Amino acid sequence: MSARSGTCIVVGASSGIGLAIARRLAQSGRKVAMLARREAELATQVELINDTLGRKAAFAFVHDAADIDAADGLFARIEQSVGEVDELFFVAGVMPEVGAEEFDLGKDRQQVVVNMLGCIAWGNAAARRFQQRKRGAIVGVSSVAQDRGRVGRPVYNASKAGMDTYLEALRNRLWRHGVRVTTIRPGFVDTPMTAGLKLKGAITADKAAQLVLKARDRQKAIAYVPGKWRPIMFVIRNIPSFVFRKLSI
Amino acid sequence: MKTPTWNDEQVFGFGMALGGPAKVLRPTTVEQIADAFAKVKKDGGSVALRGAGCSYGDASTAKGGRVLDLTAMNRIESFDPTTGVAVCQPGVTVRDLWRRAIGYGYWPKVVSGTMAVTMGGAAAMNIHGKNNYALGPFGECVKSFDLLTPSGQQLHVTAESDPDLFHAAISGFGMLGCMTRLEIQTKRVHSGRMRVYGIVAQDLEHNLQILEDMHGEADYLVSWLDLHAKGIALGRGIMHRADQMKPGEDPEGLRYFEPSLQDVPLKMFGAVPKGWLWPGMWCALHFGQVPLVNWLKFQAGSREQKHSPYLQTHGAFHFLLDYVPRWQWMTKPGGLLQFQPFVPKAEGARVLRKLIEMCHDAQHVPYLGVLKKHRPDKFLMTHAVDGYSLAMDIPVPTSQKGRESLWRHCREMAEIVLEAGGRFYYAKDAVLLESSFARVHGEDAVAKFRALKQKWDPERLLQTDLSRRLGV
Repeated sequence: MSARSGTCIVVGASSGIGLAIARRLAQSGRKVAMLARREAELATQVELINDTLGRKAAFAFVHDAADIDAADGLFARIEQSVGEVDELFFVAGVMPEVGAEEFDLGKDRQQVVVNMLGCIAWGNAAARRFQQRKRGAIVGVSSVAQDRGRVGRPVYNASKAGMDTYLEALRNRLWRHGVRVTTIRPGFVDTPMTAGLKLKGAITADKAAQLVLKARDRQKAIAYVPGKWRPIMFVIRNIPSFVFRKLSI
Repeated sequence: MKTPTWNDEQVFGFGMALGGPAKVLRPTTVEQIADAFAKVKKDGGSVALRGAGCSYGDASTAKGGRVLDLTAMNRIESFDPTTGVAVCQPGVTVRDLWRRAIGYGYWPKVVSGTMAVTMGGAAAMNIHGKNNYALGPFGECVKSFDLLTPSGQQLHVTAESDPDLFHAAISGFGMLGCMTRLEIQTKRVHSGRMRVYGIVAQDLEHNLQILEDMHGEADYLVSWLDLHAKGIALGRGIMHRADQMKPGEDPEGLRYFEPSLQDVPLKMFGAVPKGWLWPGMWCALHFGQVPLVNWLKFQAGSREQKHSPYLQTHGAFHFLLDYVPRWQWMTKPGGLLQFQPFVPKAEGARVLRKLIEMCHDAQHVPYLGVLKKHRPDKFLMTHAVDGYSLAMDIPVPTSQKGRESLWRHCREMAEIVLEAGGRFYYAKDAVLLESSFARVHGEDAVAKFRALKQKWDPERLLQTDLSRRLGV
């Protein structure tokens, strides 16, 4: 059982689901270290939270999730300046536009580095400390996209699958030490990352954050957000390959 | 990219009572606007500029002429989260702007009752909100704009660079050029919600008294009036006051910075689509049940007052006109006319009382009245006075005789307003004549405006039904 009093780290906190999670954590009385790449956006959001709550609950740390070597040092710095961390939310993710016939290693590398290696860097930094302290919680936001490799975004699928499998391994390693690891697989969520897409029935980032925190509280291993995606993805996962390759989903 | 073409369409004002067929072009770039200007000039015609078409009267219509509809130029080019300044194309709507701003803790300084209006339209008509007495009109949150003049010149205008043009193009109802980019200042808010009070006002004087008592501390004040009430209850209504939160006052308001939680709900009780409410309202209006509906609404006011203050999102407080989509269809087929006089403070009670009595006598009783407080501003064609305005929504009869009687009635009312030193607002007006134009603004202001028109648009390329009516 993770204590609910220490500092939380949210990686990817300047917009979308990460921002909504940070807001809800701050509102519930926690101290939140908010990490993001865009300095002006991050500073505004941190100020907005502190200003609305009337107390210093959010702390800004400019960080590019692609800078994986910096993760461990920054983790230590956050613990030093804000307080002992007992929860990590890894929400950073990139999903560049990829054409149907495009094989661009630059874009692919960026997705693997941010979505997968970024999660591994922060997961490792947290796991090492939480395992020793025998408490803590790690929540990683993966995607329903990880369930199948699809024509649209091959490396987004692959990077999220890599992250998802890593989180599963971390869960299995850490549960015996009292540390909980939850994998979130969101479906359609209305965020800046998905702004250009027409997603039917998308939920709001705030709703997604609410469901993420609920899954954490219930110590779920894997949570689809919202829950209706579990049966949908069950069906999609079980479409045989010779059929699936002909589909455009 | 496909070049847009002139299409034959029906172009009406928001009140659906004025307008008619026109050739409409929807440009997507500044070059296309310039090309359209050049082409119309070559043909020797004129063109009307139009945003979302939310002006009630004929400010954006050109019966039998050409209309340049700017709604396709709807990109917010940038939003600075540190300063809250948005750089917008002219077709960006109030909705687009607040959806972008609220996530960073900003809200547009001035918004209208519907979020459909565009930035270009809002600046050209110099719209006001429920805080006009405090923050002034929309023009006061425009830091700068780019103006494409009919001669094809592109100017970057600020209040310092060219004060005359700045203060005339804003409020100049699209007569001096087309704004192609606007820099809009938004304001900081410390919660996604506001504290709202409903206050029952027993008559017109009570309403005005509340406006005077509260305008010092209230951020927004607006009163709904039941104009069917007569005698001692004449001008009764429900005043709504909203105050912004101070830092730390509403921690729960943090999650309401999520744009989707600000949107006006489009379903009643979570199920009934509100888009289908207007036929019910149509029945109430056409079968004479408006007095009953107003009476019920007024009675509900005391319950609201008992439960005040309550918390409401910015969106839910401001955009009352968006609560019921297509509400104005209830006035079909005649449409509606909104008559909104602006009356100086000293004459307020007398003139407004007289106007309401005249409506009863002429049997053109408005189904809706909205009372607001205003302050003067520096814009040339301003409608604001140090006083009050009463917006009256009157259904337009379908018969020619009824229509003429309504217009006559409104012109009689306008005469009383002008005698008292009052003004009118071109986003609403449908009745003023050329002879009244100078009386609204004063001879000097009108002469100055005409001189600017002569300077920037000597060939009279920019014309609307409104400008022809006023003889600009």
